[in-house]
Amino acid sequence: MNSKRWRKLSFLFVGVMILGLVSCTAPAAVAPPAAPAAGEAAPVAAVGLEVCKGQNLVLASMTDQYIAAFRALIPKFEEASGATVTMDELGYVDLYQKLIADFVGHTANYDLMTVDIVWSGEFGQNKYTLPLDTFMERDQAELQLDDILPVAWTLGEWQGAHVAYPLAGYANVLNYNKDLLAQAGIEPPKTQEELLAAAEKLTDAAKGTFGIALLGAKGSAVAQDYMSWVQQHGGSILDDNGKAALNTPENVEILKFFGELFKYAPPGATDYWWDQRETAFRTGNVAMMEGWSIARAGYENPDLSSIVGKADLTSAPVKAGMEPQYGFGGWGIGINADSTPEEQACAWQFIKWLSSPEIQKDWLRNDGAPIRRSTMTDPEIVAAYPWMPLLLESFEKGDGDYRPRIPQYSLIQDALGTHVNAFLVGQETAEQALEAAQKQVDDNWQ
Amino acid sequence: MVNSSNQPTTKRRHWVASVRRIYRGDGPYWAMLLPLLVFVVVVAIYPLLFSFRISLFKYRLTDPDQVQTFIGLSNYLRAFLDPAVLNAIKVTLVYVAGTVIVELVLGLGLASLLASEMRMTRTIRAFLLIPMALPPLVVGLVWKSLYNADFGVIPYYLKQIGIGVGRGPLAELGWAMPAVILIDVWQWAPLMMIIFLAGLKSLPVEPYEAAYADGATRWDRFAFITLPLLKPTILLALLLRTMQSFKVFDTIYATTGGGPGSVTTVLNFHIYTVGMTFFDMGYAAALANILMVIIAVLSIVYIMLLERQQL
Repeated sequence: MNSKRWRKLSFLFVGVMILGLVSCTAPAAVAPPAAPAAGEAAPVAAVGLEVCKGQNLVLASMTDQYIAAFRALIPKFEEASGATVTMDELGYVDLYQKLIADFVGHTANYDLMTVDIVWSGEFGQNKYTLPLDTFMERDQAELQLDDILPVAWTLGEWQGAHVAYPLAGYANVLNYNKDLLAQAGIEPPKTQEELLAAAEKLTDAAKGTFGIALLGAKGSAVAQDYMSWVQQHGGSILDDNGKAALNTPENVEILKFFGELFKYAPPGATDYWWDQRETAFRTGNVAMMEGWSIARAGYENPDLSSIVGKADLTSAPVKAGMEPQYGFGGWGIGINADSTPEEQACAWQFIKWLSSPEIQKDWLRNDGAPIRRSTMTDPEIVAAYPWMPLLLESFEKGDGDYRPRIPQYSLIQDALGTHVNAFLVGQETAEQALEAAQKQVDDNWQ
Repeated sequence: MVNSSNQPTTKRRHWVASVRRIYRGDGPYWAMLLPLLVFVVVVAIYPLLFSFRISLFKYRLTDPDQVQTFIGLSNYLRAFLDPAVLNAIKVTLVYVAGTVIVELVLGLGLASLLASEMRMTRTIRAFLLIPMALPPLVVGLVWKSLYNADFGVIPYYLKQIGIGVGRGPLAELGWAMPAVILIDVWQWAPLMMIIFLAGLKSLPVEPYEAAYADGATRWDRFAFITLPLLKPTILLALLLRTMQSFKVFDTIYATTGGGPGSVTTVLNFHIYTVGMTFFDMGYAAALANILMVIIAVLSIVYIMLLERQQL
């Protein structure tokens, strides 16, 4: 081919390539229509499931036990409403990062998302999720708000507004293996001191059985467990002004107690995330485990557990002499503030449908967690899950704020997550660990 | 203005002449490169320049108002005074030294061992290449299961032969770094093996014949002929592996998450924590630039040594 043709061809080729490049990037350049500010959203006239016809919603859900309930109930919702709901199942760290990226980038990839109780402040202050109060006002009659347990409202409440709706309420309970306790002749402990004594008695490292399983992994896992023990000893993460007070003498004492408990935990416990702790208990190697009430039903499932029929639960023990208060946690469900009004309206219909008393029974039967008093006192439910009355008591005396639901929660969690773990592996002393954690929080506090 | 044929030229004629020159000259070659150049600029150059720029600012990614405050070199100053960063640099240097030296020795040994072209050695070489084909994240997760204190295979056998593992190789302060280095060695020593193999194959035969005639032992031949002749290859392999080792992230993320405590928090992982957990983008960018400078300086040192060798 002579040089003239070569030149013509090369320019043509280049032109085609540039065209290809440009057309590839074009869709990204089209900005999604900005959703109007929450306050201005005119509520769609129809308030029923009709608004959902033909809508596509995307739900980001944590891979907690209730995900099985989502998988079972979403097809029912799709049938009832005509909408399509796609669910993304994400682990705790991934869920948080993907949601934050979605909110900060205003990409509105997720319309619905499960919101951890502790994210209420952060999501509320930064206006990541839509405040649901207008919807709740409008549909008050259908919602039966009085039926929802008072403590459950901490799942998404921030400064008087609701940035997420209660989805799954968890109580911190003490699970124990009836057989192992009976063999050692111990009653389920009622105080923290009894807990430590029982753990010591139940540990036989040679046989491979241990008294208690704990979360020790660096990060959110150990932070949660430590804060849970702070609550059970009557301590506090925040001072009276609402600022973090991690290195108080009480908290140092509690950290040392926490370290004591690890002596009676399996050796890998300093690396345990939630699933590993569950496995340790479910295989019958560990006698006791504090954890969220939602896991209880799973111990009766032969596919998951080797201790079918041997597990029982009791309220989490508090320090001797302390007025009983039980840790409350769980998840709310929120609507993305950047989604279109139609998507938001349909998302609200999903939340309403899911939290209705009728569907809540199915929610519970499929491994979900309760938010309504009526569900927890329903005779069928109590017959199937005999621990419901105990759970109800834990909810009624529940404290949903023992992990501060403030915007700076992630900061506190990371500081404690790093330094409590450092203490447990022997890299720092208890005083050093909490000093360092406090410093980290103070340096980055906004 | 007049052109070469003494005709008065207008601006338009000038423009047409320029286009003609591009069309007839090097134009087509530049044009062919253009799409790739655009891609490189967008994907690599622009983010690099953005990173330089943002490291001079205070910028929190999750700030609803997206405020960027100019603070000059404050981020860099903060980095050098931050004990967490200094610890991370120290940990990274330990990691790099550990992995590179072990992989060098192992790679050279394997290459010498498997240099012959028998069918068996060729098969073994092929199998040894498999770890390199796996994604580092997958390798990390699998090794994490292997190292699991309660259910892992490695602690089980260690206990059988009487070595107590305490909290497990990945959770004990003294064991975590060697355990993580082992994972890296398992995956990348074969790479060193290939590089040295290529080097060994390219060595001239005459010096060996002369040495054999002079009665040199095998060790003499290795130490006094092979090693000196392989110096360029060794330096190249060192350069490659050092650069890659400095940037390690997947392995640490999948196995220890920087723990226990902070004994395996390498600099890249610390940058990730600062950027993705605290969303402090300005500081993270400054740290990333520091890492880049460290790697660049090391690379320049190696390349200078390499060039000196080849003179």
